[in-house]
Amino acid sequence: MGESRGGGCCPPMDLMRSETMQLVQLIVPMESAHLTVSYLGDLGLVQFKDLNSEKSPFQRTYAAQIKRCGEMARKIRFFKDQMSKAGVLPKESLEKESDIDLDDVEVKLGELEAELVEINANNDKLQRSYNELMEYKLVLQKAGEFFSSAHRSATAQQREIESEDSQQAGDDLLESPLLQEEKSIDSSKQVKLGFLTGLVPREKSMVFERILFRATRGNIFIRQTVIEEPVIDPSSGEKAEKNVFVVFYSGERAKSKILKICEAFGANRYPFSEDLGKQAQMITEVSGRISELKTTIDAGLGHRDILLQTIGDKFELWNHKVRKEKAIYHTLNMLSLDVTKKCLVAEGWSPVFASNEIQDALQRAAVDSNSQVGSIFQVLRTKESPPTYFRTNKFTSAIQEIVDAYGVAKYQEANPGVFTIVTFPFLFAVMFGDWGHGICILLATMYLILREKKLSSQKLGDIMEMAFGGRYVILMMSLFSIYTGLIYNEFFSIPYPLFAPSAYDCRDASCSEATTIGLIKVRDTYPFGLDPVWHGTRSELPFLNSLKMKMSILLGVSQMNLGIIMSYFNARFFKSSVNIWFQFIPQMIFLNSLFGYLSVLIIIKWCTGSQADLYHVMIYMFLSPTDELGENQLFPHQKTVQLVLLFLALVSVPCMLLPKPFILKKQHEARHQGQSYAPLDETDESLHVETTGGSHGHEEFEFSEIFVHQLIHTIEFVLGAVSNTASYLRLWALSLAHSELSSVFYEKVLLLAWGYNNVLILILGIMVFIFATVGVLLVMETLSAFLHALRLHWVEFQNKFYEGDGYKFAPFTFIFTANEDE
Amino acid sequence: MGFLITTLIFLVVGIIASLCVRICFSRGPSTNLLHLTLVITATICCWMMWAIVYIAQMNPLIVPILSETE
Repeated sequence: MGESRGGGCCPPMDLMRSETMQLVQLIVPMESAHLTVSYLGDLGLVQFKDLNSEKSPFQRTYAAQIKRCGEMARKIRFFKDQMSKAGVLPKESLEKESDIDLDDVEVKLGELEAELVEINANNDKLQRSYNELMEYKLVLQKAGEFFSSAHRSATAQQREIESEDSQQAGDDLLESPLLQEEKSIDSSKQVKLGFLTGLVPREKSMVFERILFRATRGNIFIRQTVIEEPVIDPSSGEKAEKNVFVVFYSGERAKSKILKICEAFGANRYPFSEDLGKQAQMITEVSGRISELKTTIDAGLGHRDILLQTIGDKFELWNHKVRKEKAIYHTLNMLSLDVTKKCLVAEGWSPVFASNEIQDALQRAAVDSNSQVGSIFQVLRTKESPPTYFRTNKFTSAIQEIVDAYGVAKYQEANPGVFTIVTFPFLFAVMFGDWGHGICILLATMYLILREKKLSSQKLGDIMEMAFGGRYVILMMSLFSIYTGLIYNEFFSIPYPLFAPSAYDCRDASCSEATTIGLIKVRDTYPFGLDPVWHGTRSELPFLNSLKMKMSILLGVSQMNLGIIMSYFNARFFKSSVNIWFQFIPQMIFLNSLFGYLSVLIIIKWCTGSQADLYHVMIYMFLSPTDELGENQLFPHQKTVQLVLLFLALVSVPCMLLPKPFILKKQHEARHQGQSYAPLDETDESLHVETTGGSHGHEEFEFSEIFVHQLIHTIEFVLGAVSNTASYLRLWALSLAHSELSSVFYEKVLLLAWGYNNVLILILGIMVFIFATVGVLLVMETLSAFLHALRLHWVEFQNKFYEGDGYKFAPFTFIFTANEDE
Repeated sequence: MGFLITTLIFLVVGIIASLCVRICFSRGPSTNLLHLTLVITATICCWMMWAIVYIAQMNPLIVPILSETE
C-alpha cells in the first residue's frame, strides 16, 4: 500500500500525509539479538509485529529472563517503598547505564534486599521491647501511686484499728478500709491475697471489669487508673488509650481465670512488688534499660538510613536499566525462532527514510557483539495497511494530538492537522474576541513557554500537565484573540477609537435626536474593525447580531468548502477519478449553489445597502421559485439565476447517489474477469441485488453494502449541509455571550464600585472584578470556546473528507512514562 | 477606496510574512511549503474577518441610537 504515490500535482508537504512506511524483515543471529534490539530501541523507529501471538507468555523463548526482570523490578519497588517511608529521595545519577551489567545488578539487589529485611526485622523487635518497657514503667508509676495512697490510708486505719486490738493478716491486707466493719475474724484462716497489675485498652476496660467480676463471682477487687497520654501498644505498634489496672484475688483458680481473661482482652501484665524499695529499684532499672534501648534503636535507624541513601544514589540507574531490559526481552519474545534455531526473525513497520539508520544500527550491533554473521535487512511487500506516522515537532505535536483524539488518519490520507494549526486558534478567537483578555492569556502562556525546560522535567499535576502540553496552541489562540479583539473593538468590553475617529455623528448641532432616531454616518467607514460608537447604544444588539450571524455563515461556508477541496486532494492522491467526478463535483455544486449563493447574497446586500430580506429570498427560492421578487431583488436576472441554481442542486443529489456504486461494481468486475457471475439485472435498484452480490476471489464486493453506504453518505451530506451551516452560528452565540459577560462585569462591578467614592469599596470592587474576570472569562470561557472550536473542526470540517480509521505508529523505544508499571 | 487599500496592505503583509518565515526558518522544501501554507491561511483568515466587518459597516441599515445617559 505504500507504493501508490500521489499525483505529481503538488510538491510534497510536511505533515500533510503520513510518512511512507514499509514492512521490513530482519534476520538476526542469536548472539547479537539482544544488542540489536537494544540499539533499535535507542533509535525508536521500528514497530515490531508480534510473530508469536499464538503462544502463551510461558511458552515464549525468553520467559525466564522476564521473570528475572520481574523479580528485580519487585525488589526495586520494595526499595522505593522503604525509601519513601523513611523520607529518602532517589538522586539523579550521572553514570552512563551501558556500564552496568544486569547480572551484577541482580546480585546487588538481592544482597541489599536481604540486608534491608533483616534490619527492618531487628528494628521491629527492638521497638516492641521498647514499647513494652515504656508500658512497664507506666504500670510501675501508676500502681505505685495507687499502692502508696492505699498504704497511707491503710496505715491510718490500721493505727485506729490497732487500738481496738484486732488481729489482721500480715502486710498483704491492704484493703483494710473494706474490712473495718468486720469485727470478728477467724484468725486461723489466713486469706492469702494475690494481685496482678497491667494495662488494658480503655475502650475494653468496663467490659473487662464486668467479666472479671462475673467469672470470679465477685471475689475480686479491681482498681483502674487512667493514663492521660496514649501509649504505643507493643503488638500493634500504634498509639492506644490505656488504663492501668490492679486486680486483687484469692485462690489459684481465680488467678488462672484472671490470667485467661487478661490474655483474651489483650491486657499486658507486668510484675509488681509492693515493697517500696523494690519498686524504686525496678523503676530505675527500667528507666536505664529504656534509655539503652533508645540508643540502640536510634543506631539501628541510622544504619538503615545510610543503607537507603546508598540505594537512593543508584536507584534511578537500576530502575531504568531493569525496565529497559524487561522491554528488550518482551520485544525479543515477539521475534520468531528460525528453523535452524540459530537466528531470530523480526518483522516490523518502519518509515522508509529510516532504512539507512536501521541498517547502521544492525551493523553496529553485529560488530559490538562479536558475531561472525551480520544481520539481514529486507523489505517485504504486503497488502496490509501500514500505521500512520507524522513527524511532528513540539509546536505541531499538540495539534496533531488533538486531531488524533478524534481518529488517527488512514495511511496517507490528507491530514486535517495542517489547516487546523491556523483555523482552530482562529475560530477560537472569533468566539473569544477581546484584546485585553487575549493579552492576559498571552502573558500566562509566555510564562509556560519561557520556563519550558524547567517545567518539562518536573512532574506537574493533571491540569497543569494539559495546559503545559498545549502551550503553543494556547499561544496561537491568544495571538488571534488579540487580533479579533481589535476587530470587535473590545478591551475588557471597553471600545477605543484607536485607528480613526468614529464614523457616526449627530444629525445636527444640538444632538436632539440622538436617543430617538439616532446618529448618521458622516465620515468614511471606521477603517479597522467595529466602530467604537456602538458600545452601549440601544441598537447595538440588532446590529451586532446581524453582523456576527452573517460572519459565522461566511466563515462556515469557507471552511466547509476547504473540507470538500481536501477531499479532492485525497481523490487525486489515491487516483480515484470516480471520487472526483461523482463525489467532489456534485458536493461542491450542491453546497455552493445553496449556501455559497447565500454568502454571495449577504455580500451583495452589504455592498449595496439594499433592504432585501434574505430569509425570505432563500425560503421562497424553494417554495415558489417562479414568483416575482419585488423588493427583495438584489441584482438583475436574480430569478433566472435562482432557478438555475436550484436545478443544479437538485440534479447533483442523484449524481452523488447513483453512479458511484455501479462504477465501482464495473471496476471490480473488470479486475476479476472470467470469474464473475451473470451480469446484474439493473431494472430495480436496491431490492434485487442482495442475492447476487458475492465474493469473487479474495476481495469481497457486496453491491448492496456499497449502495447503502453511498446512500448514507449522500443523505448525510445533503442534510448535513443545512445543519452544519447552522452549527457555525455558535461562533455568533459564544462571541455574544463573551462580550455580554465582560460588559456586565465591567459595568456592574467596577463602575458601580467606582461610583461610591470610597476606597475600601473600590478595592473590594477591583478584587471581585479580577476574580470574576479570571474565573469566568479567562478560564471558563476559554474552555468553552476551545470545546466549541474543537467540535466545529471534528464534525463540520472533518466529515467532508476525513476517514480517520488508521492506527498510530508506536515504535519500540526506551522513553518510559513516569508511572509505567509493567 | 479604503477597502482596496487595506486589502493591498493585507496582501503586502502576507508576502512579507512568508518571506520572513522562509528566511528565518528555512528547513527543506517540504517544510517550507508547510510554513508557506500556514502563513497564507492565517493571512486569508485575518483578511476575511476584517473584510466582513468592514463591508458590513459600509452601508448600514441600522444606525446607533444612544441610550439615555443618567
